[in-house]
Parts: sequence; C-alpha cells; structure tokens
Amino acid sequence: MKKIVIEVLYPEYNNLYGDRGNCEYLNKKLSLAGYDVEIIETSLFDEPAFVNNPVDFLLIGPCQEKHQFNEFEQLKKYADAIKDRIDNGGVILATGNAFELFGQYIENGDGKSTECLGFYPYYAKQFTKLRYNDCSVGEFENMQIVGFKNLLSHSYGENPYPFLNMKKGCGMNPDSKIEGIHHNNLFATYHTGPILPLNPQFTDYLICLVDKEYTPVYLEFEKQAYDSRLKELLK
Amino acid sequence: MGKLRFFIAIIIGKIMAFLLDKIFKRGTNTPGIVMLKICPDALSRFIMPRNTICVTGTNGKTGTSNLLTHIIRNSGKTVVNNSKGSNMAPGLASALVTQCTLGGKVTADVAVLEVDERSSQYIYTEFTPKYILCTNLFRDSIMRNGHSGFIFDKINDYLDKKTTLILNGNDGISGLLGEGVCDRVFYSVNKTERSTDTCVDTVCDLIACPKCNHKLDYEFYHYNHIGVPKCSSCGFSMPESRFYASDVDFQKGTFVFNGDKGESLVLPFQKGNFFNVFNITGACAVCRLMGIDLDVIENSIEDLSSKTGRFQEKKYNGIEVVSMLSKNQNPISCSQSLKFLDSTEEEKDVVLLITDSNDKIHGHEDISWIYDTDFSPLNKENIRTVYVGGSRCYDVANCLEIKGIDTGKLVLFESYDDLANEVSKKSIVGRSVVVYFELYATSVVEKIKNALSQKGDKN
Repeated sequence: MKKIVIEVLYPEYNNLYGDRGNCEYLNKKLSLAGYDVEIIETSLFDEPAFVNNPVDFLLIGPCQEKHQFNEFEQLKKYADAIKDRIDNGGVILATGNAFELFGQYIENGDGKSTECLGFYPYYAKQFTKLRYNDCSVGEFENMQIVGFKNLLSHSYGENPYPFLNMKKGCGMNPDSKIEGIHHNNLFATYHTGPILPLNPQFTDYLICLVDKEYTPVYLEFEKQAYDSRLKELLK
Repeated sequence: MGKLRFFIAIIIGKIMAFLLDKIFKRGTNTPGIVMLKICPDALSRFIMPRNTICVTGTNGKTGTSNLLTHIIRNSGKTVVNNSKGSNMAPGLASALVTQCTLGGKVTADVAVLEVDERSSQYIYTEFTPKYILCTNLFRDSIMRNGHSGFIFDKINDYLDKKTTLILNGNDGISGLLGEGVCDRVFYSVNKTERSTDTCVDTVCDLIACPKCNHKLDYEFYHYNHIGVPKCSSCGFSMPESRFYASDVDFQKGTFVFNGDKGESLVLPFQKGNFFNVFNITGACAVCRLMGIDLDVIENSIEDLSSKTGRFQEKKYNGIEVVSMLSKNQNPISCSQSLKFLDSTEEEKDVVLLITDSNDKIHGHEDISWIYDTDFSPLNKENIRTVYVGGSRCYDVANCLEIKGIDTGKLVLFESYDDLANEVSKKSIVGRSVVVYFELYATSVVEKIKNALSQKGDKN
C-alpha cells in the first residue's frame, strides 16, 4: 500500500471557513483509492514536517488578518525550505490570505505592514470595514475552478505566474482578471474554504502530481454538486 | 434644524408604528427605517433611560434579552425592548419610538435592547448603554460575519469606558472585550457531569492562547471553546466570575445561581437546553447588579420554564414531527441541534433543510460552513432515512459522504414540493420525522406538515 503524507499548517489558526474540508476530502479520496494516508497537523511554534521529512501535500489555509504577522514570522524561518519545495515540485495548496505569504508585503489598515516571503512581486492591501464576498469561477488549463472568497484584502502589482483566469468574480483585486499563483506545483489562491471538495477534477489533478499512477475514484455526489454549482454561477 | 428633524421623525414614527400595529398586528422595522431617513442621528437624540442594557453576542442574545425583559417587568419596572423588530439601528428606533414623549424622552424605566454584533458602530456611538451583556462569540455565517476576530473588533472598537460589560467568563474570545477600557463583570458556569477534558466538537474557535499564541490548555470544556482556558506558556486565564452557576442537574433540569453576596437560588432551565444555563446566569447577573430581588428572579424564571423556544413537537395523523430551527449558515447552531439525535433511541427519519432555501433571491450560497458542522449523529442506527432538500442538496450529500455518513441513507430533492410528498409517502406511524430548517425554510416545514395531514385524509 502506497503511503501519502498530508501536512496541514497551523490548523489552530487556519481553519476559519470550513477549510478542514480540503484535508478531509483528500483523505477520503486517497483512502478509497487504496493509499495509506498520514495526516500531520503542525502548530505555530513547531517545526513543519516538510522541512526535514517527505510530505506529499502541504496545505496552508487562511487565518485571521491579525494573525498573519505571527504566522509569517514563523514561516520566514523556513523560507529556504519552502523555496526548495517549490523548485523541486512539491505540492503546496495555499488558500485565502495564505496566498499573500508568497508576495512582498501586506499593507495593514493601521499603516503598518507585514513582510512576506517575497518570492513574487505582488503585494496585498487590507481594508477594514466590509469583507469581500464572492462566488467565482476561474479557468485553469482545461478546468473550471469554482469557489468562494471571504476576504479583507486584495493584491496588486505584477504576477508572473497566475493560477486562474477569472470567468466570474474578481481576480487579485476588483480590476484584475487573474488570480493566485501556479508555479511548478505551488497552487496559491484567494479562494477560501473547501476548494478541493468543490472541485473534484482539480483534486484528482493534484493527486496525479503526487502519484502518476493514481486512478481517480469518485464520491457519489461530487460531480452533481460541482455541475450544479458551475451551471448556476455561469448563468 | 436637527431638533426639528428629530421631532418630525418621532411624529411620523409614532403614526407609522400605530398604524402598522393595527394593520399587521406585529412589529416591523419600517418606522425606524423612515425615522433614520428623516433624522439620521435619531438614536443619539433619544433621552435614554438611566438603565439601558444592550445584549449582544453570537448565540443566545434573543433568549437572554427576552428573559431580562421578563424579570425586570416582574420587578415592577416598565421596559422598552426590540423583541418585535430587528436588532439593528432601525429595529431599535422602531422600538424606542413606541415608548417616548414627543421630545424623544424614553418613558420606560429600563431599555433592554438586543444588538446585532455588526451594528455596534451604529449604536454604541449614538448612546452609551449602562450595561452591555455579551453572551459569547463564535464563528457564524461566513458571508456576513467572516470570523470571530472580525466581529470582536467590530464590538471592541466602539465600546465606551462608561459602559459596564457583563461577560461570559467561560468564553476566552468575548471575555477579552473592553480589557483595560471598561468595568467588566464576569459570569460563568462551573464544571458539570457533561464537561469534557478535550474538545469533542468539530469546531473550537480558540485553540491558541490569545496572548502568547501558544497552544492553549483547558481545565475542561462545556462545548466548543466554552470552558476554562488556561495557558501553561504565559499563564493567561480568565478573570474570576462574580456570578456563577453550579450544580447543574441534567436529569431534573435545574442549577444553582450564585450571586456575589453569597446568595444562591435553585433555578430551572429547559431540560436538554444547557445553553439556557448561560443565558439565565447572564440575565440574573445583570438583574442583581440592578438590585432586583432574588424572589422576583426566582418567580420570573419558574413561569418561563414551560415555554418552548425554537423546538416544536406535534403529531400529524399519528406521525410525530419534531422541527428545530438551525440558524442560517451557522455550523455551531446546526451541530448543536443535531446533537438532539444523540439523546433518543427511537426510530427516526431526518429532513435537512439547512442550506439557504431563498438563494434565488439571496444569491448563490457559500456552503463552506457545512464542513465545520458535526453530522455524526446521523450515523446512528435508529436514523433511517436522511432527506436533504434544496438546490445545494448535492453539496450537503457530498460533505456527508466525506465525513463518513452512510450514503445509503440519503435521499436528495432539489424541489421542496417533491421532498414534502416523498416524506409524507414514506413516513409510518411510530417513526418520527425530525426536521432541521433554516430561518427561511419555515414554509417548507409547513409543506411537509400539510402533506402529512393530507396523507391521513386519503387513508
């Protein structure tokens, strides 16, 4: 039985919008497909497993805006390991404001700024009053990715490796039609919550990146759920 | 100019409130909406009673403010409250205008106002309540509320130092409101026989210490993050409670309320509704701070104990239907109502109407929250069929499969009419039907009940 390791970073903070659904769904699919799945949950002050151990999926979800600074301070310690992982094709799925981690900095509402990893040239600006909600559709290769956004920030500046071309809903900011980062096997997106169970085909694509021999397994209702959402959103 | 506008707003508000009450026989927010159009700062122009109490928080604010109103009225004082209207600025204005002079002086002795957390900035900036009671803060509807930290800031940024906060000492999130700014009085519930050492719920909104960010320990949990948090890294713990509940007896449905002067009272809470212990303790704490006698409190709570809340039970041609309101897009409320299934071994069918039934008008629903919901009670053997209704039924079913619920039990209907007919067709005497419904799905619940009634006619 092939073993697959999923690491979830800082679930005590990064679990705001049903984001746990991503790991639960991966686990369900992989288990049904006959893999032996190990899930590692890493807390804020612990060294992430991927730094020194094999990890197949690294999941980073969104956190409260005021916690981004604390998280990024920790993650900057592992900047080299994260860079290596991206360069070597390790799968990373970063959702919600975790997308901002890979950019330059975040301009906070109070005039201060949070320094990010600086791998890519974009930067984020927080707003304070109203949250930005969206139900969106973006295109990646031949797939339509559907999902939700609940944000208190937008991103600006150059993005050399966009993940999605938005068909519905905004991109990095309301004036942008591109969104997220897809560089090697890093997938970062502003989508929040259970993006994987909402997009079964994309999930199968990610699993194939980890194991080329994976034969997709399907849950009973996943396709109907996806099709009905896509149809409604593109109406 | 402002004075004149306020005067006109009061007159029009009063006329509208009177007419609407005569026509519709129920409260509405329309007078308040019109008043605030005429005089945008109307709320700041009312002369409020010295005892103005606002009740806010994610869960339990309606129950708590109704209870407070009831006790204070029984103490002989007159109370103005917004239980008939909304808990936002227009709802407050609509309530106040019914009990004020033409000059805007509120004539009731006390104001008890339920306040939506996100409306804090439009309310606490207009007048300074003597007390604000915050029941708790949890994750709530994602689209409206984002996360608990966002809501915390929405309240905390608008608190006035002259307000005394009455806070839940078992909640490490809302318990930090007004720190260093306001006088704060805490109430809490002691460990019960149902307290746990680890969090048994899907969601815990406070896992890391709010002070040092290390993993937080708990002496025990009541439910979710409600318990006694203690940080072994920095020593953070909640301040001592002046008022507390002890000796919670789940069999009898009673507990002991303990005051700050050594006084105590045995009080009933609705059996099966442990949250009421928090609501009653919070309400009693405010009453004691206002100097209301113990006997008044005791008598008021006894005569309330028979009333039911959002839980209804009725037979339709021999088939028992239990309907439970599950707050919209709120995983905590939904999980807690599903726990009811754990308490019974009789055969049941379950109907889930938990996703937005009005999404044609509200727009596509962000269903992320269902992944934070604990559906495990549906796996019990005595739960036979689980009907899932609405346009998002496939999402709910997919989530249920991911969470390990047997998909063989599931029957899905996009159409609520078809669902109601099927439930009626398949239901049998001796197997009750438990319907979980969101706020807008009350008409669907009626459809099911009607279908069951008609089934009897055909026989």
